[in-house]
Amino acid sequence: MKQSVVKIENLVKRYGDLIALDHFSLDIREGEIFGLLGPNGSGKTTTINCLLALLSFDKGDIEIFGKKMTPTSYEIKQEIGIIMQNVAVFDELTVYENIDYFCGLYISDREKRKQYVEEAIQFVGLDEFRKFRPKKLSGGLLRRLNIACGIAHKPKLIILDEPTVAVDPQSRNRILEGIAELNRNGATVIYTSHYMEEVEQLCTRIAIMDRGRKIAEGTTDELKRMICNTETITIEALALTDEIVKTVSELPHVYDTAYDGTKFTVFCSGGKHNLLRILGVLQEHSVSIGRVFSERPTLNDVFLEITGKALRDKGE
Amino acid sequence: MTVFLHNLKYECISTLRSREMIGWLMLFPIVLGTLFRVAFGSIYENDVCFQSIPTAVVETGENEVFAEVLKAVTESDDPLLNVTAADEASALKLLRDGDAKGIIYAGETVSLTVAGKGIQETILNSFVRQYSVYETVIKDTLKQNPQNLPAVIEALSADTEVCVRQSVTEGNPDQFIQYFYNLIAMVAIFGCISGLNFTTDNQTNLSPLGARKSCSPSPKYISLSAGLTGKCIAQSVCMVICVTFLAFVLKIDFGDRLPLVYGTAILGGILGVSMGFFIGSVGKLSLEIKNGILMTVSLVLCFLSGLMIGNMKAVISEKAPWFNAFNPVAVISDCFYCLNLYSDFERFRTKILIILFDIVLFTVLGMLFSRRKRYASI
Repeated sequence: MKQSVVKIENLVKRYGDLIALDHFSLDIREGEIFGLLGPNGSGKTTTINCLLALLSFDKGDIEIFGKKMTPTSYEIKQEIGIIMQNVAVFDELTVYENIDYFCGLYISDREKRKQYVEEAIQFVGLDEFRKFRPKKLSGGLLRRLNIACGIAHKPKLIILDEPTVAVDPQSRNRILEGIAELNRNGATVIYTSHYMEEVEQLCTRIAIMDRGRKIAEGTTDELKRMICNTETITIEALALTDEIVKTVSELPHVYDTAYDGTKFTVFCSGGKHNLLRILGVLQEHSVSIGRVFSERPTLNDVFLEITGKALRDKGE
Repeated sequence: MTVFLHNLKYECISTLRSREMIGWLMLFPIVLGTLFRVAFGSIYENDVCFQSIPTAVVETGENEVFAEVLKAVTESDDPLLNVTAADEASALKLLRDGDAKGIIYAGETVSLTVAGKGIQETILNSFVRQYSVYETVIKDTLKQNPQNLPAVIEALSADTEVCVRQSVTEGNPDQFIQYFYNLIAMVAIFGCISGLNFTTDNQTNLSPLGARKSCSPSPKYISLSAGLTGKCIAQSVCMVICVTFLAFVLKIDFGDRLPLVYGTAILGGILGVSMGFFIGSVGKLSLEIKNGILMTVSLVLCFLSGLMIGNMKAVISEKAPWFNAFNPVAVISDCFYCLNLYSDFERFRTKILIILFDIVLFTVLGMLFSRRKRYASI
């Protein structure tokens, strides 16, 4: 079994009467890309801030690389790279200078630092912008600079707190590919997001958070197996009678149905050939159908089933 | 040490490139100083440069001796009188129109008519009276030793000074110089903007940049001391630019102790930075609110030290003398004043000690507030 990199036990953080973290525990192993998934305000950033010893907490223990994390744990901090939710760079310094500044806080050797800064610039694709000041960069490029500042010193543990917020799809893909590459190069990654697709695509293990609590943890498949739904079938159909809907509802493995006049949605739990059986019923009743979709459950379905609410706010 | 120098390097670069630094600490004093110079320039010239007294002379008879004296006082390099020969009617018109300060009737006897009671009229009166006293001496000199006449006339002209201003210092006692002292003091105290930004950029609970720095393996006291040093260096550069511009471009006369003026300006700037650092470290208000508070406080302190109204400091000295000792702008401005006006260094030394005390106080308190390691909320 791989070595534990981050271990959080029974972490409790209160803001007055509000419990931001409620006996939260985690164990992240070397080489993982660990996703912290949850809606806004679920406690992801608070967890990261406690982990980095920026925030005080009421109860619990935090260990990184097997040692207790404190504000003066400089040896541990030396091995951590942090990419904050908000871009944290100097507006007055150029791209190169910003990366060099942050890298210099970790690496004293000038030659080595120069090499690392060059590699970081190449890694995030900011070569042609090296003399630009942050204000002249687009949102996506600025995020890439933010990442370069956090990873230039080649840390063993990289913490990314919602690094793709307000980023265009092209930059987002580049960032996600970059994180995967950092992981392939040996870094353990903690990735927080409320974008389930990103977490699903990137992370080897995921913890889902809500209201300061961990409500589920595992690989994507493990999480999906936790819920009843295994398949959601949507059929475009006009003029379905109540009788037809009732017949479909009584088919094996069907546990719920919904019909809004144009779309007929059938929720299945386990079993095989569910789609064929449903189409068979519709054919028997000579129903004209349009397009047919069969979807595997998403992490949003997992979250929805466990908490009774959607993972992401509408419009996001 | 390497990390200290690394921090110092980038702190200096980023500070000297910041818009606030360029705007408030470099351009603003240049613009305001130029405006002051334009506004006070003509007053200054009139105040310190002597101008010849316009005088009408009406000849009522022959007076060879007076004609000789008159020639001497109008043809020198720095003539006492600017004479217009006229008949009586024209002379009276010149007097009425203000084109002449007095009419000298030159005949066997010399008499004077003036229309006002100013300094120039007094000098004219004194000149005519002195002539009457010296007339016999001049006549004798002209007859017996004509070669000595210029010396006698020079003595006559010199005695026309009603009172002599005797400077107690090599400095410039002009009252308008006080505005320039206050301007330098204001630039110094605006260093607080730089100090405030520094606190914001270094505290976890005030900015993402502060949070990121706190995550680094560099101990906080190193980044704080390097950063503060960087801010002070950048502020000193601004102070040097400001004093140099005033002294060498606008030709403001700061007396013969210019190196000490530079030194005082630099210390004042460091006081400004440390004050901003201290205020920034207290409480968890946003940068915008703290900036607003700091700018308001700075401008009020500048106002109370006499930047906007020249005699305000004197008013404060009378009503609340303790406040001038506390007001950093007034203390910095007083330093320049002492330096320029007093030949000894006693008062100057006292003011410098107050500045040094304030710098140490603000820096230590700022460090104590900033050293906090973990926050209850971010």
